[in-house]
Amino acid sequence: MKEGFRQAMAWLHTWTGLIFGWLLFAIFLSGTLSYFKDEITHWSQPEVRSHALDPLASLGLAQRYLETNAGHSASWMIRLPSEREAALNVGWRDPEGGRRGFVRKSLDAQSGQPVEARDSRGGDFFYRFHFELQMPYPWGRWLSTFCAFIMLLGLVTGIITHKKIFKEFFTFRPGKGQRSWLDGHNAIGVLVLPFHLMISYSSLVLFMYMVMPAGILASYGGSTNGYFNDLFGRDEVPKVANVASPLVPFESLYAKVQEQVPGARMGFIQVQNPGDRNARVTFTQSSADNVAYKRSASWTFDGATGALLTQGAPESAAMMTSFSFAGLHMGNYAGPWLRWLYFAFGVAGTAVIGTGLVMWLGKRQLKHAKCERIPGELRLVEVLNIASMSGLLLAVAAFFWANRLLPVGLAGRANWEINSFFLLWALSLVHAVLRPGRRAWGEQLGLGALAFTLLPLLNALTTGQGLNHSVAAGDWAMAGFDLTALGTGVFLAWAASKMLRAPKPVAKRAPRAAKATAETVEVNGC
Amino acid sequence: MLSIALIGYAGFAALCLAMDKHFSDLLGRKPKPGQLRGLRLAGWLLLLVSLVLSVHQRGWAHGLVEWITVLMAGVTVWVFGLPYQPRLLLGLAAISLVLGPLLAVFAR
Repeated sequence: MKEGFRQAMAWLHTWTGLIFGWLLFAIFLSGTLSYFKDEITHWSQPEVRSHALDPLASLGLAQRYLETNAGHSASWMIRLPSEREAALNVGWRDPEGGRRGFVRKSLDAQSGQPVEARDSRGGDFFYRFHFELQMPYPWGRWLSTFCAFIMLLGLVTGIITHKKIFKEFFTFRPGKGQRSWLDGHNAIGVLVLPFHLMISYSSLVLFMYMVMPAGILASYGGSTNGYFNDLFGRDEVPKVANVASPLVPFESLYAKVQEQVPGARMGFIQVQNPGDRNARVTFTQSSADNVAYKRSASWTFDGATGALLTQGAPESAAMMTSFSFAGLHMGNYAGPWLRWLYFAFGVAGTAVIGTGLVMWLGKRQLKHAKCERIPGELRLVEVLNIASMSGLLLAVAAFFWANRLLPVGLAGRANWEINSFFLLWALSLVHAVLRPGRRAWGEQLGLGALAFTLLPLLNALTTGQGLNHSVAAGDWAMAGFDLTALGTGVFLAWAASKMLRAPKPVAKRAPRAAKATAETVEVNGC
Repeated sequence: MLSIALIGYAGFAALCLAMDKHFSDLLGRKPKPGQLRGLRLAGWLLLLVSLVLSVHQRGWAHGLVEWITVLMAGVTVWVFGLPYQPRLLLGLAAISLVLGPLLAVFAR
């Protein structure tokens, strides 16, 4: 009975893992990249220079810029530069202009002048892809949420299937073919299990309004807007009084927030009805300051008098729990070393999925090792494995190459970066179909190695902000990106050399053996 | 945080050595009676000490998260490094056992 249960779980683990593995690999890889969303954006827009942080000065610059350029708008948004984001971002609602009626500008944090940065989605592309999969709303969100559920299922069934979870807790035996793959898969899965469980469970929490909406629908009658207003504690904005009244300097409001929470970093600042007697200015504390998202960490001022009107409502225990999961998932609170560990564990999650896919195929290929050709369905899995793993890495590289090579003036430039991503991904699929398995792996990994190792050089040649400049200037987001690309390239080169080298003797003998025993092979049903 | 990472790493090393197979593989001799028990106890104790230190230094929210994070990182290094550099990792565990508590006391 018990063995039957374990076998059923193993079956579930194997097949859901295969069907959703390809997509999960892409979700995990893009999610891992998203931990460096701001840094990737910084690399993608090298025109934005990083300066020493000075929140007060930045706030003044932003206010002056908006008063001059967006006086007619009913609502403004300011995002101050941070350790990770160099630009001083401002935006305002304008039905006439901008994308979806919202104009965004990146200002230089020192001069306050708008920076004409190249049109690029940067890290935001990977971040959005991570949970929307470049699909129309809401289908991408549904699919990625379902994948999160499958991941959780895979973890639980994996734990049940793993017979020697404690006995082999510390076991990894390299150089033993399938045995090593299984060891690696198990070890990364088990040792980093808290992270894997947190990530997949919290994604369900993040989208719980979609997954389990019954409670919300019952209480809020079909509209989730009311629910979100209550959840995030949004205040009603008073109507415009149509009495002009100058805004108080934001620096004075900033000082009032600092009195309440000394040392608090500001995430974004929202201004409603600027220049009116009913102006409202809301400061929200940066999510980098707390593990959990905190709605209480926001302060609304009367923009005309500078009086503190309200502070965000306190959180209930249930809210705190779900906000903690959201915070843990996104890791906004993480400083540099913790962020790197987040990144490493993200890579580990990606590796668990990748090794699982490789093992599924390897185990079944062994049965057909004597045949000259592997059956069609296995070949299909092989092609999809190659395209979804090494192909995706090539696609990521293509995005970054396009970012540096596409002319700055090109219309729809940001979209062309994304197109290059998908174009190369599609090409890798074609390549995987045309070339035999091991060669395809080797060639794609080799090309990936080349693309990633040359990326720092390309950066240096096209922007003059290569490693020699960024390290000297202390621009660690830029330097870190280049160094990580270099590291990725070296790793891919190692993997490619393993694939391109003559396969192990067992596999080498296989074709000859197949010819010699052609008749028996046919009997075996190859 | 480095002190907590080192103590946790030493704790996992002790827990690993507390297993008969790993003990003989790594140290090249059979464990004496009681040695495995002692190692297991020491391992759990070290993990507990690192948890207490972490929560004490960083509070519950950051302390718990960072404790789990550095523990996962340490044990992953241990398991995947062991087949290649067992002596280095054992040496590192011994050093962490000394350096970890020292850092915890002096580098506040």
